[in-house]
Formats: sequence, C-alpha cells, structure tokens
Amino acid sequence: MRYALLLLLLAPGLALAQAEALENPGTTSAVQDRLYRMNHELSLGLGVLPADAFYKGYYAGVSYTYHFTDHFAWQVGRGAYSYNVKTGLRRQLERDFGVAPTASAFEDEVEWMVGSDIMFSPFYGKTAILNSKVIHFEAFLLGGATIFKLNRDGGFRPGANVGLGLRVFKSDTVSFRLDVANNVVFAGASRIINIPTIQLATALNFGATE
Amino acid sequence: MLRSRLAALSSAALLLLPVASRAAGNSPAPAKPPAATPAAPAANPGAPAPAPAANAGTPPAAPAPAEGQAAATKAEEPPPPPEKVDPKLFDEALSKYFDGNPRAAAGPLFAWLSATPKTDDNYAWGQYFLARSLIDLGLTHAGAVYLARIARERTNPNVLPRALEALKDLTDRPHDEVMIDEQVFAALDLGFLEQEAGAYVHYQQGLVDLRVGNERWANTHFAKLEEGSAEASRAKFALLVTRLKTVKEPSEELITDFLSLSKDEKLTREARNEAALAVARLRYERKEFTGALEAYALVQLPELDPGRATLYLEEAWTRYKLGELRASLGILTTLDAPSFRDEFLPEKYLLRALIFRDLCHYLPAKRAAKELTRRFADSLDAIAERDDLAQDLRLRRAAEAHGSTRRASRYKELLELESERLGRYAGSFGDRLQSHLTKLYALSLGEAERVYQARLTEAVRQEADTLLRAAEQVRLMEYEVGLKLYERVKKGSKVVLPAEEVLLKPEQVAFQFEGEYWNDELKSYRVRIESRCIEETP
Repeated sequence: MRYALLLLLLAPGLALAQAEALENPGTTSAVQDRLYRMNHELSLGLGVLPADAFYKGYYAGVSYTYHFTDHFAWQVGRGAYSYNVKTGLRRQLERDFGVAPTASAFEDEVEWMVGSDIMFSPFYGKTAILNSKVIHFEAFLLGGATIFKLNRDGGFRPGANVGLGLRVFKSDTVSFRLDVANNVVFAGASRIINIPTIQLATALNFGATE
Repeated sequence: MLRSRLAALSSAALLLLPVASRAAGNSPAPAKPPAATPAAPAANPGAPAPAPAANAGTPPAAPAPAEGQAAATKAEEPPPPPEKVDPKLFDEALSKYFDGNPRAAAGPLFAWLSATPKTDDNYAWGQYFLARSLIDLGLTHAGAVYLARIARERTNPNVLPRALEALKDLTDRPHDEVMIDEQVFAALDLGFLEQEAGAYVHYQQGLVDLRVGNERWANTHFAKLEEGSAEASRAKFALLVTRLKTVKEPSEELITDFLSLSKDEKLTREARNEAALAVARLRYERKEFTGALEAYALVQLPELDPGRATLYLEEAWTRYKLGELRASLGILTTLDAPSFRDEFLPEKYLLRALIFRDLCHYLPAKRAAKELTRRFADSLDAIAERDDLAQDLRLRRAAEAHGSTRRASRYKELLELESERLGRYAGSFGDRLQSHLTKLYALSLGEAERVYQARLTEAVRQEADTLLRAAEQVRLMEYEVGLKLYERVKKGSKVVLPAEEVLLKPEQVAFQFEGEYWNDELKSYRVRIESRCIEETP
C-alpha cells in the first residue's frame, strides 16, 4: 500500500520529465578551444605583508612555474625580498615606553623568503565587460612550503602555506595574477605565527601551444 | 537544393560587385578641407574676379535637378530672377568655410553661383566649396549633386580631381548609383586622372562592362590597373564572380583563384570573406564537404561580431551532409540567437526537422517542421490570398536585407534623414538655397521611392518563392515523420548503439548553454543527443 502511494506520487513527475526529454532532446554546450594555455611561467610581482602590528612589509618577488596541464602546475621556486616599514604603534612603543628594538615581538620581521607550491586550477571562465569585450580568467588554489629569513640571529624558519589566486589573461604570453596566501611559520619550538601575503604579479608565459 | 545554392551563389556574386566597388577606400575619408585649395582660386591672379552682378543676365545656375532622374515632370514655377550679389561674396564665403563654418558659407556660395555665369573661372570652385559645405553639414546627397555637375561640366581641370576624389569617398555610403557610378565614373572619359582616382575609374568602368556582359571591354579597363594594387585584386574578384555565372561546372582553377583571393590582404575583409564563401559554395556543389568547411573557416569576423546568418546556415547544411548531425544542430542553435531572430531563414526549420528525423526523434522533428508554418503563417496566408506581398512585414524585411533592394532602401533612408536634417538649416541657408534643396530632396526621394518599390516587388516575390518551397518540403517531412511515428517495431529490433563521440578534447573547454547567447560562442555550439533509431534485424 505504501509503495503504491509512493508510485502514485512519483508518476506525474516522471511522466513530465519524460515528456520534456521527448520534446526537447539533448543538451547544448558551447565547446571552444581553450584560448589561453600556460606552460613555462615567469612571474614578477609586488606584494605586501599586512598582518603584523609592528611593521608592514612591502616585497618584490619573482617565481617560475611549470604547468603540467591546464589544471595542475608546480611553482618550482619563488623568492621575495621584503622592505619593512615600522608602524606607528612600534614607534610609539619604542619612543614612549622604551621597548627595546630587539624585543622578541619585533624579531618576527620577514627579511626574505623562498618557497615552492603546487597549484590546482579548477576554475576557468570568462566575463563580459560592458557587452563589448570578453576577458578570460582562471582561479586556482595553491599550497606549499616556504623558508623565511626573519630579522634575528639564525632567523631561518620553515613554514607551510595555503592560498588562492586569480589570473586574468591579457594575451597568450601575458597575464596578471593576484595571490593571497597564509603562511604558518614555526617561529620557535612551541611558537607558531601566521604571515599572510598578498601579491600582484605580471606573469609571462613561454612555450604555450595553441 | 543544389539549384537554390547555385542561384544564391550567383546572386550573391552579382550583388557583391557594387559592394566591392563601394569598399574601394579602405576607410571612408572624412570630409577634409583641402589645404591647398584656398590658394587655388586666389593663386590664379589672372583669373577674372567673380562676375559682377551686371553679368547676371547670363543664365543663372539653374537649380540642380535630381541628376539622372526622370521624376521632375510636373510643371514648376519659374525661378525668381537671381539677386545681384557683391563679387566679394565669393571670397567671404570661402573665408567662412575655411574658418570651419560651412553653415554660414553655404547660403552665400549658392547666392554667388546663382548670379555668376558658368563661364566664370571660379564657378567650378564655387560649386566645389558649396558641395563640401553641404557634405560637412551632413547633406551628402546635395553635395554629391554639385560634385557630379563639376565632373560632367569639366570647366576647371584644377577642381575636377578634387571633386572626383570627394565623389569617390561618397560611394562608401548609400548614394545615388545612377548619378555617381553610372553617369560619372562609368560614363565619362577620365583617363587623364592621377593614379589612385584613375585606377578607381578604370575599375568602375570595367565593372559596368562586366555587368552588361562585355568581359573583353572590361579587361581593357582592368589591364590598365597596376599589377598588385587593391583595384587589381578587386577587378580579379569581379571577373571571377562574373565567370561563375557562365560556367556550368566550376573548374578547380576557378576555385583556386577564389581561394587565393580569400587570402589577398589587399582586398577588404568583406571581399576576402566573399571569396572564401564562394570557395565554400563551389566545393559544396562539388560535394567536397570537408573542403567547404575549411573554406568557411577562412571567413574572418571582427571580434565579437555575430557574423552572417546565411553563413551559419550553409555551414550547418555542410555539416549535415558530412553526417555531423550534432554539430549541425548546434549551429541551428546559433541561428536562434537574438542577433538572427529577424532573419528570414525558412530552411532552418527544415534542416532541424531533418536532423531530428535522422536521429529518430520524431516528435521534435514534427514540431520543428510545424514551426515553419506556424512562424510564417501570416506570410503564407498572404501568398495564398494573393495579397500585396510588399505589405507583408516578414517578406519585406527579408527582401530588404540584401542585394539591390537593400541598397535602394538604405539610400531612401539616407535621403529621408537628410531631408529632415535640411529643416534644421532653414534659418542659416536663406530662402533660395533652402527652397532649392527642399525641391532637390523631394525629387530625389520620389525617384528613390520608385526605384525601391520596383526592386522590392521583385525581391519579395523571390522571397515568397523561397518560403513556398520550404513550406512544401516541410509538409512532406511532416507526412513522412507522421508515418514513422506510428510505425510498428518489429520483433528482434534493437537500439542502434551511438557512435563514439569525443565531445571534449583536453585542450577544449565547455560552457553549458542555458539560453544566454554570447557572441564569442556562436560558432561553438554542440548538441549532445542520442540517436533513438532501432536496427531491424532479420
């Protein structure tokens, strides 16, 4: 009885779906050759270390990435050197409260960093600008490891990072890339600090096939 | 089908001739005040000053009739006697023109022309600057009338090349084809002209010879074109197109010639595309469908340009013939885009019905077939009732969409627009010029309307024929599908396994279509649909 009732309830829906499939068969897709394909990528970028309350780091970075497929890539190496600017808070602490510049809280300044990442790009799309131009983009996730040189004696510290990025294609050879990542840095035996990075880069693509 | 394609090819080819000729300049040159020109009248100190008013007894510059048109039959009031004008008026008017005020220059120039004998040395300059003023003010037809008069009268050899150059620029837009193309460029002996304008003249005169079927005379003109010039390429294209009309079986050589023209950078993109289309159509007729597809791929469109509906339909037919039913169905999806919604393509419904029938989707096939009679019900009724077909909106729009009817329609629209524009200058032109131009536009508009109606009548008849043929085939299809729909399936029959189809290659990306058309995707639609056909085994 219960099954019969269930069948009665489902029957109209099934019939409707079948009628729809009979009248409008098939699905339509726009199948296009991928307009932009990455291969050997060299990026030159500028970034910022925005999170630390005692300084802001402005860095210049360079990286090389090899793209295995349209979806997977290995950012073989990246390096960045940071120019750090003291914040008002730090200046006030030093000036008004006599906090020594070598205080441990100030020793987390990043001087430079190098690292490597795996990139996964599941999103590829396009968008229309004022109905007159179409731009293509891709979004990607990245994860990897970084060595930081902090502003202290023997300041080499390992870190792991995850992030996401957006690439806007300009041409076959030029694209613009925004990376946002968070680095978990093992600053001491039992101390972990987070160093977020935001970087905007121009990426040059070599050896791409049509 | 074959015959209709060949007919379409020939007609497209014929229609292209004037199109190609209009595209002579790579870009329409803006009306530029010729820097050297102001010196021209002044640099001729020996030339007598503009005739004094006392000379006004000579026949005044008669109001320019609508040149080459026969509409001016009704009796007109005699023109008022020309006013006496100061000879300095010419210089003042020129000064205003070169100060960038053509509105203020036009009235005085007309007054000066009206009071000056045609034998005056500056008379042609007066006409030229009046024409330039009118063109600058957006009254291109009125300007063309004066330029054409300069070309025909040929009283001043210094003015003539400039006038012809300006006329040539005007041919890039809708214009009076009889007055400019036939009565000036094609009819006058202009062999003395300098290189560029001379080449254009030879090209035009060759075209006219081709149109009347005299290829030998056309070759005489085309032989004077510099080898490798843009005009030479266009002339070659025109020759090939004309030969298409005469040959029954197009040779491989003809196709190769068209193919080389489709890659000739000296031709305009439109002409190159037409050459590529010619290759595709000829290969289609020879049943070389793969080659036809390659030729369609040569057609280049500007970024985000939707392209031409007929091109898509032809490609859809080609893919259908190749057995690429899903790709063909995808292209038919393209033809439903808003850009093509008003296109007159009855064959689209027929092809869709054929594809569904071949995939054994009989209900959609029947529906696609019915769609044609439903969509064109009004037009079919009008044909059945023997109504005036020119009043049928769909047929009229279809007729106006291409060929000589389109040119006539666009020219008529231009005249209407300029007639309206003329009203804005009533205060600046003065009564005499205003009434003269009003009369000129009225006459030209009357003639344009007559030509348009004559062409429209013939064109709607052709479109009605196309529609009737498609409707007839669709009825047959409906009948056939109706039979299939109720056909008994024999025992032991089994569903035909679909052929392995690679919908997406690794280097490709798919965007699911959900009713939103993107111009960059119009060429890329593919339909995934299974065949429902069954195999009857013994």
